[in-house]
Amino acid sequence: MNAPDRQAPGGQALAQAATGAAKAVRWGMTVDVNRCVGCQTCTISCKHTNDTPPGVQWRKVIDVETGTFPDVERLFLVTGCQHCAEPSCVPVCPTGATRQRADGLVTMSYDECIGCGYCAVACPYQARTIVHDERWYYGAAPTTQERAVHHDERIGVAQKCTFCVEKIDLAQATGHRPGEDLEVTPACAASCISQAIVFGDFADPASRVSKLVAERESFQMHAQLGNDPQIRYLYSTPAVPGREPAAADLDEERLADPANPLVGPLQTFWDWRAAMNWCFGGLGSGLALMAAVLSSLGSTGAAIVPTLQAVAGVLMAIGLFFVFLKIGRKLRFWRAARRVQTSWMTRELYVAIAFYVALGVNLVAPSRPGTWIVAIAAGAFLYCQARILQAAKGIPAWRTPHVPALITGTGLLEGVGAVAVVPAVLELSWNAAPVALVGCVLALVNAWLFHRYRRALENEGVGPLARRAIDAMALSLPVVGHAVPAVLFGAALALGMPGLATIAGLAAIAGGALLKFTLVVRAGYQQGFALAKLPQRGSGARAAPARSGFAKRPA
Amino acid sequence: MSDHPAGTRSVPQYCYQCVSGPDLMRVEVKDGVALRVSSNYDIKGEHPGGGRVCVKAYGLVQKTYNPNRIRQPMKRTNPRKGRHEDPGFVPISWDEALGLVGAKLREVRAKGLVDDSGFPRVAVSTGGGGTPVQYMGTFPAFMSAWGPMDQGYGAGQGIKCYHSEHLYGELWHRAFIVSPDTPYVNYIINCGNNVEASGGVVGVWREADARVRGAKRVQVEPHLSVTGALSAEWVPIRPKTDAAFLFGLIHHILHGREWRAVCDVPYLKNRSNSPYLVGPNGWFLRDFATGKPLVWDAADGTAKPYDAAIGDAALTGGYVVDGFELGPDDERIEHRRIRAEPAFEKLMAHTKGCTPEWAASECDVPAETIRRIANEYVGHACVGQTIEIEGKTLPFRPVAVMLGKTVNNGWGGYHCCWARTVLAVLVGALEVPGGTLGTTVKLVRPAASRTGSVQPGPDGFMTYQFNATTKEAWSGSPHIRNAFKTLVPLASNSPWSPALGPAHLPWLFAKEQPDHWPRQTAPDVWFCYRTNPAISLWDTLEVANRIAEFPFTVCFAYTDDETNHFADVLLPEATDLESLQLVRIGSTKFFEQFWKHEGWAIRQPAVTPAVDCMDMTDISTRLAQEAGLLEKYNDAINRGAAGMGLRGKAFDYALDPAVPHTREAIWDAVCRAASHDLSDGKDVRDLDDFKREGYMLAPFPQLDWYLYPGMVEQNLRFELPYQERLVRHGRELAHRLHEAGISWWDTQLREYEFMPTYERFPDVWNEHLRAAGGKPEDYPFWALTARSMQYSWGANVGLPMIREMAENVAGHKGVVMNRSAAKRLGIADGDEIVLESIIAATRGRAVLREGIRPDTLVMIGQFDHWKTPYAKDLGVPSLNTIAPMSLALTDATGSGSDIVKVRVRKATAADAKAMRKVSA
Repeated sequence: MNAPDRQAPGGQALAQAATGAAKAVRWGMTVDVNRCVGCQTCTISCKHTNDTPPGVQWRKVIDVETGTFPDVERLFLVTGCQHCAEPSCVPVCPTGATRQRADGLVTMSYDECIGCGYCAVACPYQARTIVHDERWYYGAAPTTQERAVHHDERIGVAQKCTFCVEKIDLAQATGHRPGEDLEVTPACAASCISQAIVFGDFADPASRVSKLVAERESFQMHAQLGNDPQIRYLYSTPAVPGREPAAADLDEERLADPANPLVGPLQTFWDWRAAMNWCFGGLGSGLALMAAVLSSLGSTGAAIVPTLQAVAGVLMAIGLFFVFLKIGRKLRFWRAARRVQTSWMTRELYVAIAFYVALGVNLVAPSRPGTWIVAIAAGAFLYCQARILQAAKGIPAWRTPHVPALITGTGLLEGVGAVAVVPAVLELSWNAAPVALVGCVLALVNAWLFHRYRRALENEGVGPLARRAIDAMALSLPVVGHAVPAVLFGAALALGMPGLATIAGLAAIAGGALLKFTLVVRAGYQQGFALAKLPQRGSGARAAPARSGFAKRPA
Repeated sequence: MSDHPAGTRSVPQYCYQCVSGPDLMRVEVKDGVALRVSSNYDIKGEHPGGGRVCVKAYGLVQKTYNPNRIRQPMKRTNPRKGRHEDPGFVPISWDEALGLVGAKLREVRAKGLVDDSGFPRVAVSTGGGGTPVQYMGTFPAFMSAWGPMDQGYGAGQGIKCYHSEHLYGELWHRAFIVSPDTPYVNYIINCGNNVEASGGVVGVWREADARVRGAKRVQVEPHLSVTGALSAEWVPIRPKTDAAFLFGLIHHILHGREWRAVCDVPYLKNRSNSPYLVGPNGWFLRDFATGKPLVWDAADGTAKPYDAAIGDAALTGGYVVDGFELGPDDERIEHRRIRAEPAFEKLMAHTKGCTPEWAASECDVPAETIRRIANEYVGHACVGQTIEIEGKTLPFRPVAVMLGKTVNNGWGGYHCCWARTVLAVLVGALEVPGGTLGTTVKLVRPAASRTGSVQPGPDGFMTYQFNATTKEAWSGSPHIRNAFKTLVPLASNSPWSPALGPAHLPWLFAKEQPDHWPRQTAPDVWFCYRTNPAISLWDTLEVANRIAEFPFTVCFAYTDDETNHFADVLLPEATDLESLQLVRIGSTKFFEQFWKHEGWAIRQPAVTPAVDCMDMTDISTRLAQEAGLLEKYNDAINRGAAGMGLRGKAFDYALDPAVPHTREAIWDAVCRAASHDLSDGKDVRDLDDFKREGYMLAPFPQLDWYLYPGMVEQNLRFELPYQERLVRHGRELAHRLHEAGISWWDTQLREYEFMPTYERFPDVWNEHLRAAGGKPEDYPFWALTARSMQYSWGANVGLPMIREMAENVAGHKGVVMNRSAAKRLGIADGDEIVLESIIAATRGRAVLREGIRPDTLVMIGQFDHWKTPYAKDLGVPSLNTIAPMSLALTDATGSGSDIVKVRVRKATAADAKAMRKVSA
């Protein structure tokens, strides 16, 4: 729980102001939890202003209940894009379609976006949506008005709140002041019937938002994640100080209730097709790398390695093809090459290109250095995959620091497994001993990595639903993916039975697939919402303190 | 997003979909198509809700382009009417449709305007809260021209509304609706009033300001509503026991505290009937010479008429005096040297037994909580303090007590209204800044001025036009089928009274003819406008059966619905963005619409009509022509039936009565008259001006928010705590009914008491259950309903965008149920459950929450549609389906409550079949 902060947010902007940078602007909002009545006027006003289709709510107010009868509190929480000062959606975007402007606004370019969904899983605020097909409120056909306000450019790409950027930009032309003049204020704030949402410039100490956070206590949602979100939630009144969340507010059962709007739903941006990229890509890249490594230890002759790497290339290509199937705007896929400086997805793409170029060259003109270049590229690919998942900051089960090692380790083990399987299938000559040795060690290492990952989940803030999904393989994965390979690789080594190593390899591959499929498809619960502080109100123990009188008189 | 880009127009409109309006908006239109709605920020400085509109207004675009709209007039081809009969509607032209209706109207006029039972042959039902009149153009002029019409077929409005408050509130302080003076209030006890959902933009805006200013609201209700959520404290009270809680508060103030120290004694002495001496029979003891009630002047030890110079009016004690009591039917009981006690002394005695401990046992709120809340209430009341409003010094009493719907109507409503108003009077908080205020008048006159209605009546109180109960003047033959003039003296006889009578009785009596009563007939012609009684009343399946018996029903129809399923002619009126009307805005209106301005706003055709519809004004003109009433109709418009008289002291914009006028000509005249009147002729605006500007305002004094100045000026008293006048009417009514042999209203007559005696109101429902052959223990849950801001009054259940918004608010998906109670029954969140009352069953998904008592279930809004497109597929239940409509559940004001005892179980596959059977 972060402490209440009376400082103006937007550290970056303040720093700019302090250094005298001219007219630094940091747009943001305050949301007063004691004002909001959950009426959804902001939600529908946003829908009107931004022409969003059925089911898409860039601004949404959720209805939150905490406690247990007769000690209950209910409140309404405005959610949506927080236009973070350190937005986790921007660096991951492989195309540059998501950008941050100098005034802090996180914007979307629909024409550049390929609909990969990375920004959506990187957002800890559930702010992003992708609509893949036209949707109409009355079913098959649009109404006259829906046809008139339809945005074809938003099909298959990410969309989210823009803080009504067009209005803000219009203000520059008209001389109006966003936040003060309602015509150029984001629709949600302008339309709010309780004045719960106030928009303004946090870099301007005289703005209403700056004054509100100076005068009232506020918190940022998920402050611990470091995004520095630019919505500040006000939670106290002059008469009622607000309270810390009680243990009952964090009740495990309630946090496991999918009907609880605080609980993040299972993400659907990256479905089984995306999982295939980790399954096939991890297996393939592991194979390409370990084929070279194990060959140097005597598992196969150097001449066979390019063949194994070619098989790896096919596997990786299958994975990438599944990714291609998943993206919203397939013909723009090449745009994913545009943000190598920050996006692990772009890097994966470049590494894949490097891999296939090297693979092609090495197939045409095999060489030991060529083989190693392919192997290194494959290793880089595997690492990119691991980092892609970890950078998805909106998914607690993915973003933990243990994920890169877990994904990389799994890929390596799968690679070893593949080295034990592919020669056997292709009837190539191979020496099982080094494979079994490395495989046995890696199986044990992976067992430890998974154990470490699982043990840390709760402390890493992974919710009970995701933990349950992971716990569901608590037996199957260690047995199939770790114990069986370790034992069989060990037995193969001890008994000199390559067939056992092949079975061990199959088990390792199965275990890796199970882990990655589960992680991506079943454990990918979104961050959800949380209140670092609560207004003090409700029944029984939650009620505001008794008062003998309150003398404040309105002006 | 595009903000009025080139080629678009921004058209000013008003939204008056709910009674908490109107609020002003703009519609962005391109090529005749409405694209978007936004607030009209031009009026943000004057509108007390910052110029905003609420979520419902944004639904109007989808409402316009709903593909399920009735696309042209239709007539029924299947003469058999029934829920399972296909009406066989076929499209017809407007000429044919209006011709059909016209022929029927001429036929009725030929037969006579009233039938053999004395009831009007034509009936009109409209939706709740008076909002239909903000959309029906000049239809009131047609109604006026027609002559007697029965407007007493209830559709849910009135009887299911804040009914007791409407009637008693208007009697006591011109409070058709009660509101806290939210800009000043600091402490609100809120028994079930869901202002955050029902108070509209202004209510939400002001209550939010009050909260952040530090005002405390205590919400007392069985489930944690939206309003409860925003309150400092939620007190989960047992359903229908609010009167016990309120009586407990009064007890603590009068008996638990030193009342002289915490009450506003001068207010009690001078502005209430507390010092009036009461004789041994309960009537005021009156002065022989003047007939006026007597007050004991402790300063000189004599009894004097209430309006004499009194040094120190006694509130307590007993005094030996001469005088007479005036009973019913002019019965005069003379006394010499009789002991009389002030009404306040009676109040003390009356409440003596209502200790917090007693109240706790009734209402399940701990006695300590009751004491604390009473202490907080008086602690915040600022007795003795004053505030300056517009240069005038007034008492400052920033405390209020509010009541919700189910608290306020049906049995117990009187008790709660009385207790609430007494709580205000005790600390001098009635009709003063910060306190408990009335909003608008609908029964007393003049309708346009609440403060103007403060006129002296008998005994130092404000005048009130009770329906006569004397032998000579009592309306023994009901003039409409709900008989409000006959049965409810307090309903008065204003244009609103028919809707405020016992408006469910016509439906009830049509099934069971009461004794000694005119034969209950069906109207020859029934007009239905912006209402759906087959969904919005109680026992709706039965209501539908009655509607099916009506021989000729004309529905102004938007989409198919459960009522117009039985219609003979469907007339698709132009909807909100397609039609023209000028309405009053500002001054003081429902809920918290207290303005510092008043004026007029326009709704205008902004879009190309989406279907072959007709403006209500044009329909009305055509109907008047068809019925041969054009001249009377035009005269009615000239007199003000369109909201503003066209002839004034200094202006004459009257229409030629002999010829039909276009809607533009009619509303142009109204615009000119309205602006002339508002500006004293300095700023006369025509229709085009209003279309361009959207509205016109003039200042309205804040002092007119409060009755107190007028009461002081005229030396009037609030008629509290003692109800002598009301009881006299009640006793006279009893005489009249018994003389007529009518005994079926006897239970209601018992409600006429000088001060209400607490009853176990939950037992009224238990007794009803037993009488119907059920056992109360078999129906362990109380089912209630709650307001939805997204839906209330909006006629928008067919709009998926509104549905999408509503589903963000918990409870809209089904039946709200306590999580632990559900667990005990093996019910999980989302399970389909069946709620069975003694009369019917309704089905929906369980929504498990902690913010509800384990003995309570809540169904938000009014659903269970079986015909309305889109809505019928939602699978959302409705209290209305299972709530009985019964004389036993009807109180003396003629209202009932949205509450019913039910049992709950998980739905089975067999239920779908069973449900169909019940429905049939």
